[in-house]
Amino acid sequence: MNFHTSHRAVVGFAFFGYLALTLLIAILPAVSVQDTPGLPGVAARSALAEQGRAVYLREGCGYCHTQFVRDLPLDRPYGRATVAGDYANEDPPLPGTERTGPDLSNVAARQPSDTWHLLHLYNPRAVVPQSVMPGFPWYFEEKAAAGPDDAVVPVPPRFVSAPGHVIVARPEARALVAYLLALRQPELQR
Amino acid sequence: MVRRRIQDPTLRPSATADPGTIRVACEYLAGATVWLLVGTAAGLLDALKLNWPDVLAVPWLSFGRVRAIHTNTVFWGWSSMVLVGLALYVVARTSRAPLWSPTLSRISLALWNAAVVAGLVTLSVGVTRGPQEYREWVWPVAVLFAAGVVLNGVNAYMTVATRHIAEFYISNWYILGAFCFMTILFTTAYVPLYQHGLGNVVIQGYYMHTAVGMWFTMLSLGIAYYAIPRILGRPIYSYALGVLGFWTNIVFYTLIGAHHFIFSPVPWWLQTTAILFSVGMMVPVWAGGGNLLLTFRGASAVLQRSYAAPFLLSGIVAYVLVSTQGTLEAFRTTNVYWHFTNVTVGHSHLAMYGFVAFVIWGAAYGLVPRLTGSEPNPILVGIHFWLALVGYVIYVVSISIAGVLQGFAWVAGEAFIRSVEAAEPMWLWRTAGGVLMVASHLVFAVNVWAMRPGRTLTATPAAPAVEASA
Repeated sequence: MNFHTSHRAVVGFAFFGYLALTLLIAILPAVSVQDTPGLPGVAARSALAEQGRAVYLREGCGYCHTQFVRDLPLDRPYGRATVAGDYANEDPPLPGTERTGPDLSNVAARQPSDTWHLLHLYNPRAVVPQSVMPGFPWYFEEKAAAGPDDAVVPVPPRFVSAPGHVIVARPEARALVAYLLALRQPELQR
Repeated sequence: MVRRRIQDPTLRPSATADPGTIRVACEYLAGATVWLLVGTAAGLLDALKLNWPDVLAVPWLSFGRVRAIHTNTVFWGWSSMVLVGLALYVVARTSRAPLWSPTLSRISLALWNAAVVAGLVTLSVGVTRGPQEYREWVWPVAVLFAAGVVLNGVNAYMTVATRHIAEFYISNWYILGAFCFMTILFTTAYVPLYQHGLGNVVIQGYYMHTAVGMWFTMLSLGIAYYAIPRILGRPIYSYALGVLGFWTNIVFYTLIGAHHFIFSPVPWWLQTTAILFSVGMMVPVWAGGGNLLLTFRGASAVLQRSYAAPFLLSGIVAYVLVSTQGTLEAFRTTNVYWHFTNVTVGHSHLAMYGFVAFVIWGAAYGLVPRLTGSEPNPILVGIHFWLALVGYVIYVVSISIAGVLQGFAWVAGEAFIRSVEAAEPMWLWRTAGGVLMVASHLVFAVNVWAMRPGRTLTATPAAPAVEASA
């Protein structure tokens, strides 16, 4: 068998060699960790929060916000270090690779106000002037007057077209906030 | 007559290239050029949105959706399509045989174009698998793409199998290898059986790393191993180093995906293995990069005259630089400062642009005029080169500085928003670099149009229209 004249030999070795390496380094390790159980005493997310997670995925929030706290001093502000159980029921888990915005693993503990989140999602610069996060105005609507079940967002007057108008959250925004407020790290039992 | 607007002594029409192969290569190049323009327009839009976040605040142009559109369009629409178009030509030429089935590759091209269009539409309306990088496409879109990979792989393999010479040239090792690896890694990424919870993270690391290393790098090197000797008119410095690079690439590159998740709950041994073999990557990188660079030694006369050679040289230099940077980024200590920062963005652009795109352009300018008999205006090629080079150097340097500043702000324990403020001036520079890059792509599109077949020469296998250069 001569590699320089036998394309079968090169392609065969490359294909099956790579397949074997893929099994060893990716598939078997994935199989061995995929059934790590979730943390004890953690309740399932509400249906509303799950809808919010779908919005979170759709808008690509995970490109700028990690859900991955490392056991490093610089990650202390975001909570305790992430453990395998934190990802147990996440499909897909969202560790992320970029932190253009802060980590959100435990954001509900840092920022528990639903009003703050609604305002921030409508236009981040309404609450953090230096923010570069996109707003999501399409999940809100302007109304002349709020209805009985409406979640009114207390925007500064410059955001409405006529005096007296209000900005109310659409269901997607309310779901997204429900998801963000469900991002709270359960305590580890020792 | 071939138009020789520059007196490149190596410009000779490939008399034996058959029209079917030429047509396929040109169709891939044309399609890819369209996706380059679309994909980099998306990239520029996202760069602008970090400077002016309230610009174009509509759902389908929002930052998070456009980011996936940018990466997927330039990966699958531009880089993959043009690399495979050139690779199919290289496979046929080095086998001294026509492409086994031009029809098969044209079906693949239709599948890929359908996949890229479907990907654009689905990602725009928010149909996505979430931010799992480079596998955001939902499976029906991914299946279209995968089918094209397999069909092209079969076609390339059969072309080599029916070759008219005994040798199996090193380019074909890399190219046929790439089709094998891509089939395996793409399937691995989409099969859900082992991707529950943390299993998904293990696969994500493996996939996003090897998709670059075992597909784009392999194809680019395969094409470089043909285009550089062809354009310089001299043999490769060392055939053996090419072989060494091939096998060590397979072993080392495959094992290092977990270095994207250092300090994560991914098993510690997997992270350490990834770091170790990231150091091992210096073997294939310096074997391959050094080999190709040494091929340039003593070829300064061609380098001055040829408009294709400078692209290839800067592409290989970027290959060595970006791969060495990749090794440095994998260490736990550097990870503390650089991970999650914009250094990653700089690294990926140095790889996919400085290396892959420049090799593509060098090969396209060096080989396509030999197929079609139509040359681009050398002045415009020069403008393309300098806009792209200056543009991406500004881009990579500024975004990397932004990343270092982010990392310092975090390590210093400052409020998060300080890292945003520190990066902002650099983001403006990044956008300026991006504008130059996009402008260079418009010039490239003009040059692709100038290189179209059938303008000055109708290539027929029986009647080579032009003598070797005078």
